[in-house]
Amino acid sequence: MQGVTQRASSSDRFVPGVEIAPGLFLTGATMDWGCPSPMIDTAFARWQEPVAYDRLLHFDTETTGLAGGAGTRAWMIGAADWLTDGRFRVRQLTTTTMGAETAMLRTFAQWLQPNTVLVSYNGKCYDSPLLKTRYRLARLPDPLSGLVHLDLLHPVRRHWKGVWENCRLVTAERELLGVVREDDLPGSEAPAAWLSYLRGGSAVNLRRVLAHNTQDLKSLAGVLLHLARLSE
Amino acid sequence: MNALPDRYASDELVLSNPSDGRSLAQRLTKRYAARITGAFMVPGREGTFAPLPDDLPPALAQALRSRGIDQLYSHQTEAWTATQSGAHVAIVTPTASGKSLCYTLPVITAAMTQNAKALYLFPTKALAQDQVAELLELNQAGDLGVKAFTFDGDTPGDARQAIRLHGDIVVSNPDMLHQAILPHHTKWAQFFENLRYVVIDEVHTYRGVFGSHVANVIRRLKRVCAFYGVTPQFILCSATIGNPKEHAEALIEDVVTAITESGAPTGDKHVLLWNPPVVNPDLGLRASARSQTNRIARLAIKSGMKTLVFAQSRTMVEVLTKYLKDVFDSDPRKPARIRAYRGGYLPKERRAAEREMRAGTIDGIVSTSALELGVDIGSLDVVVLNGYPGSVAATWQRFGRAGRRQQAALGVLVASSDPLDQYLVRHPEFFQGAPPEHARIQPDQPLILLDHIRCAAFELPFIGDEMFGTEVATPWLDVLGEEGVLHREGERWEWIADSYPAIAVSLRSVADGNFVVVDRTNGRQTIIAEVDYTAAPVTLYEGAIHMIQSVPYQVERLDWEGRKAYVTRTHVDYYTDAIDYTKLKVLDCFDTSNAGCGQAHHGEVHVVRRVPGYKKIRFYSHENIGFGPVNLPDQELHTTAVWWQLAQVVLDAAFEQRQQALDGFLGAAYALHIVATVAVMAEARDLQKSVGSGDGAWFVSADVAGRGQIRGSDGQPASLAADAPFTPTVYLYDAFPGGIGQSEPLFNCREDLVAQSVTLIERCDCRDGCPGCVGPVLAADEEAVTTPKALALRVLALLVAL
Repeated sequence: MQGVTQRASSSDRFVPGVEIAPGLFLTGATMDWGCPSPMIDTAFARWQEPVAYDRLLHFDTETTGLAGGAGTRAWMIGAADWLTDGRFRVRQLTTTTMGAETAMLRTFAQWLQPNTVLVSYNGKCYDSPLLKTRYRLARLPDPLSGLVHLDLLHPVRRHWKGVWENCRLVTAERELLGVVREDDLPGSEAPAAWLSYLRGGSAVNLRRVLAHNTQDLKSLAGVLLHLARLSE
Repeated sequence: MNALPDRYASDELVLSNPSDGRSLAQRLTKRYAARITGAFMVPGREGTFAPLPDDLPPALAQALRSRGIDQLYSHQTEAWTATQSGAHVAIVTPTASGKSLCYTLPVITAAMTQNAKALYLFPTKALAQDQVAELLELNQAGDLGVKAFTFDGDTPGDARQAIRLHGDIVVSNPDMLHQAILPHHTKWAQFFENLRYVVIDEVHTYRGVFGSHVANVIRRLKRVCAFYGVTPQFILCSATIGNPKEHAEALIEDVVTAITESGAPTGDKHVLLWNPPVVNPDLGLRASARSQTNRIARLAIKSGMKTLVFAQSRTMVEVLTKYLKDVFDSDPRKPARIRAYRGGYLPKERRAAEREMRAGTIDGIVSTSALELGVDIGSLDVVVLNGYPGSVAATWQRFGRAGRRQQAALGVLVASSDPLDQYLVRHPEFFQGAPPEHARIQPDQPLILLDHIRCAAFELPFIGDEMFGTEVATPWLDVLGEEGVLHREGERWEWIADSYPAIAVSLRSVADGNFVVVDRTNGRQTIIAEVDYTAAPVTLYEGAIHMIQSVPYQVERLDWEGRKAYVTRTHVDYYTDAIDYTKLKVLDCFDTSNAGCGQAHHGEVHVVRRVPGYKKIRFYSHENIGFGPVNLPDQELHTTAVWWQLAQVVLDAAFEQRQQALDGFLGAAYALHIVATVAVMAEARDLQKSVGSGDGAWFVSADVAGRGQIRGSDGQPASLAADAPFTPTVYLYDAFPGGIGQSEPLFNCREDLVAQSVTLIERCDCRDGCPGCVGPVLAADEEAVTTPKALALRVLALLVAL
């Protein structure tokens, strides 16, 4: 209810990226991050075969909440992969209107190939079902079903449950990669950041969510490599 | 083993020739003539049969034949024809008339021939489980390959996915549809895309607040179906109610074909209304219903008749079971002849009891309302009701359990000391002649509607001027937008909040939070009951005796904010009755008509309800033995009401003193409330009464002696100036915020209500007034013409239609 009173428009409405469809912004960046071997050992996930690194697509969504069901939506999808030159590419789709969701879903679907291996943190229970629901509501074919999905939460839990205070991604990245985030907007504040922007508020926190999401994707890839080395 | 001495072993009433309801009825009538206030017979009829339809899939016809079904009852055939023509169908036939086959045939046929899916909704989990068991048996008999599953709160998480994908028939309840299926409809996409039939059984239970919620859940279901491009056919079933077609159409908001003629054969049904004998004439004390029920059941079982006893509480089920077991199951080496059946038992135990009843190895079963609905227990000879179940329709449903082909069955209603029971049993003609009550719903009740538009908006965005039920949703969406849960973008209203609205909406109770009753006897901390918010102020005040399954507990502390009442077990010979008075102010009058020398109205009112204290009333004799204060916040609500008024000149001519008129109005209100509760099939607490000034300046409560006391708007006793305007008014109002549609039907039958109230008071055996007619009064030395009873009659006489 407070949101309504924040309707007063803000002057800082800058959303980074290129508007590739009305209300849909794409950011892209490449960086050196991790150094994957051509074949990633996935024995830590109890998989039989190693996976070629260029099949991996790390993904993480930012949503309107945790309630679940048909009323929860993703307003941002971040995806990251290693290019053939070994560089790490982060792409993010940000919607600034509700109507841009369909274009976002279509674009993300184009990033997926039949042999893509999804990498996520709790994505099997959260991001993936949520996106499936959104594809269904948008009357689009669901590109996620049938893809192989490597959810790192479960192997992390098997290794470090009871050792660490918890098995959240921030804990894993600190323990395994030494990542310490500065000025991080906690994921739990992502819904409010978008809602506030949608109602004409400032884009400051929206950009902080993008930064947070980028770090999530990097940590995801880092944790994956760490796990892969464990079984070598 | 030495059993208790059995005084009835040689009773001449025990029949040597078993299984005849008629002879038992005759013998009981002869022997206990004084206790039987009414006896009548509903003639049986021959069955009407038809061959299995030609267009049934051969495998299904074969499965039916192998289960002994070679032909159908006429209503089953009618249902088949109607469903095949694409109509929505409502089937209204008595208990045990083979209703489920009416929907099983089209559903299984569609599943076999078109891969079509069906959703079944039952009001209880037990009925859902029964239905699945039945479907599985039929499926097995014909190797039909149709998969049926229950989907309810007990369904394990890992099974849910399989059910969503592979269930041909999913059997659930409205609450699950509301909270688990519709909000997650995308997970059910395949199911919805192929949904052909929605079967809703026992629709007579979906009335009042619950029914109004369910009608909105059906609106949401239809909306989700539309998204998946399907318009399923509805098949509804109901026990006998006064308006089955109208009710079914109100629930699904579409035209239905009603099938009301049962083709199932029945024997004659004898009905006895039984009032326990007076055992203490001075105090007007009657023997307990329990002792009478026990006696009748014993006689019936000893006469070799399969007997079902309905009791009103789980405890009473146990007590009666024990009494019967003491007689019939005294030898532990022999299989039990008596069984109890109630909620709270494990499904396995219930299934076992049902099986044994069907197999005929059980001679007597004692049950709560759990057996009123369609659980299959085979045929019985005698049904005894320990107390009036609250509606004529429910009474017939329970009696409907007795009856085999070509055999006379017997139903006995044993009255308890409750005013409603005493009213009915003393007015057999009312019971015999009364059409079953109408089931009513009010799906557009604003609070309920808003709750469901909220849930619907979560499930799918609203677009443009979309309708929800009969209204355009836009104004409601604006409200939700203001609240911040919806966001409007162009023509679309989308859910934006991080919440799951269905969780906050319960179909079966009113908002504001239930109170829990915590037993602290001997240092315990056990929750023993829940009480509705609206009932809490009049039942859980400190000092109240709160009866749970007839065990008295005293409320020691009420934590209003925390919604908790702390009680301890107690032993007292009285119960407590809240003095709750209400101040009403008329906001809007929808309709007015003449009522005798006065007027009757129907409209919208503002109600302030206060509980200043309570009376202690001794059991059985109903004397008033004390008073205690209560300190609780006022309850306020906007609702609808029906009210009667007499002009000052009329009253001045009819009464010497204003006090007499007030006493008369108070008594008339009490009687009208009893009669109206019966008329609208209401729970007594959903309909309330009040007496006050027409302009809301003052209101009247009963004092310790049961006489009218005027109170000012501050609730303090007041007196009227001799020249002050005087228009006492009796109100009956809906106790649900916004009203749930009870007042309009009451207004429509206003003349009957007044006439029946007159009869109620005239026929009452008491002298001055009692809880059975005008309310508890303390006798005073007064002339017969000025007793509360006589005064109430005088008021009502002025309101009787000319």
